[in-house]
Amino acid sequence: MAGADPMFRRLVWRALRWRRGRAAVVFAALTVGAAIVCALAAVYFDIHAGMSRELRTFGANFYLGPAGAGGATWAEADFNHLIAGAPPGLVVAASPCLLGTAQVGARRVALAGVSFEGLRPLAAYWQVRGAWVAADFDDRNAMLGARLAEELERGVGDELTLTNDLADDAAKPLRVKGVVETGDANDRRLIVSLALAQEWLGQPGRLSHALLRVDGPPERVAAWAADVRQRYPALDAKPILRIAAAEGLVLDKIKGLMGLVALVILALATLCVNTALTASVSARAVEFALQQALGARRRAIVAQILAETLLTAAAAAAAGLALGWVLAQLIGRAVFAAAITFRAPVLPLTVTLALAAALLAVILPIRRALQTEPARILKGE
Amino acid sequence: MNIIETHNLTKSFGSVIAVNDLTISVRRGEFVAFMGASGSGKTTLLNILACLDTFTSGEVFIDGHNLAALDEEGRRVLRANKIGLVFQQFHLIPYLTALENVMLAQHFHSVTDEPAARQILGDVGLAHRLHHRPGALSGGEQQRVCIARALVNEPPILFADEPTGNLDEENECNILALLQDLHRRGRTVVLVTHNPDLAARADRIIRLHHGKVFEP
Ligand SMILES: Nc1ncnc2c1ncn2[C@@H]1O[C@H](COP(=O)(O)OP(=O)(O)O)[C@@H](O)[C@H]1O
Ligand SMILES: [Mg+2]
Repeated sequence: MAGADPMFRRLVWRALRWRRGRAAVVFAALTVGAAIVCALAAVYFDIHAGMSRELRTFGANFYLGPAGAGGATWAEADFNHLIAGAPPGLVVAASPCLLGTAQVGARRVALAGVSFEGLRPLAAYWQVRGAWVAADFDDRNAMLGARLAEELERGVGDELTLTNDLADDAAKPLRVKGVVETGDANDRRLIVSLALAQEWLGQPGRLSHALLRVDGPPERVAAWAADVRQRYPALDAKPILRIAAAEGLVLDKIKGLMGLVALVILALATLCVNTALTASVSARAVEFALQQALGARRRAIVAQILAETLLTAAAAAAAGLALGWVLAQLIGRAVFAAAITFRAPVLPLTVTLALAAALLAVILPIRRALQTEPARILKGE
Repeated sequence: MNIIETHNLTKSFGSVIAVNDLTISVRRGEFVAFMGASGSGKTTLLNILACLDTFTSGEVFIDGHNLAALDEEGRRVLRANKIGLVFQQFHLIPYLTALENVMLAQHFHSVTDEPAARQILGDVGLAHRLHHRPGALSGGEQQRVCIARALVNEPPILFADEPTGNLDEENECNILALLQDLHRRGRTVVLVTHNPDLAARADRIIRLHHGKVFEP
């Protein structure tokens, strides 16, 4: 588009200002469209990054732990025995875990002892800054939940020291190897090797629970669960597949609905813009005919209409992004009780869709502008 | 040499024959008036000669160019280079100033040249109205902007279709004086009018009646 030509720029700018009422209608329609798309996309991608991944990508689909209320522990030996005795191929991954609290300086923090090697395949969705702790026997490195990292003001590579109120001389220095964003309780935990947690919490050989990924037909899984409960009456062994799948399904439906709402709003905005532009082009038939009489090429007319529309659309996209962002926070607070984090795809998606809607809306008006015969229009009888 | 020539030119709109087997010519530098009642085909003829419209049959030559041999782009180029147009309804762009309206014609012809545009507006007596929009100008002033716009690219032919139809008598005189002056300076001027007093000022009158030349 002859963007460098000052006369072209002046023409576009003056035309927009002269018909600012119509431009305002186009701007408003596209702003609303862009705002809705931005808000829904922001929520969509944030759920996707958080909850949905937890439910679906989180490979765990089986829970093993003491029956009854929290706090109880069970023997790691039982766990090892159970896993070793499971039908071949049934248990694909297993992550035993001991939870407790520990002291870091003056603060009490939630401590989780895990098998890093067992957890990693189940936590593929975790966003890790730095790196995973590679080995289960590594008791000098730890991983830190992102929220806790903020509170402790520690980052990747920093040192922190576990202390003990009761034994003054006890201190365990740790290096933060990775900071993890998980979207769940682990965001507020200090994650260390299982052996270290057991030692530090004074619970050698004990576990809080274990999460497994089991593979196989549901009947086979159910049969194994029943077998475990029979042999260890104090243990709860249950598939969590069904719940996760159902929640994932609801989430899919909500997301589908959001996509639909965004599409409908965009379609309405496009219609509205199309109507406004059609009226505008009709009202300006003489103007375009005159330009052609002065020697303008048809593509100069197309360029002017396109430039006016796209300029308005770009402004609307910017306004829509701002408005949509506020809207996303309101939705996040009202529906998910959480702030929505800005995810990268939202910006290009919103801008692209707003511009695409404008382009779609301008096709017919441009065709109409080109169909008119200058001679007939200028006769003006 | 004839700058405008038609041979058996016919233009029909469906069953209406607006220009009927017309053979006319205009010499270079001539001031010709087309006269005729409303509906006699004056505007249709002018639009064809101005390369704005196509025709049904016959031949048209503008400054030696055979219009039948030109496509839309060819007509566009010829129009931009050879022809200045003045309309009864002025057709100024409402959101551009007088100066910008004139510069627009330069823009679509080649490149803008603000000093030249100022100069030509000064020539038609509008040096003090450069930055007014058409809405702030009188009818006579608007028509003078139109004439400036038509002339700024220095086309050899000026077509004026009832240029004073919307003006009072005083402004009518001013515009006519402008046209006569242009003619004196060598331009070919074709004036469409149904006012016999105006037509009488031309070198020659071509009378149209139902799309044909009418010889009384
Ligand atoms: N676009 C058109 N479609 C149909 N008929 C037309 C069109 N333009 C002009 N005419 C007819 O052609 C005849 C000549 O019109 P026009 O050239 O405008 O006359 P004038 O300018 O002399 O008043 C009229 O009968 C008019 O109704
Ligand atoms: Mg007419």
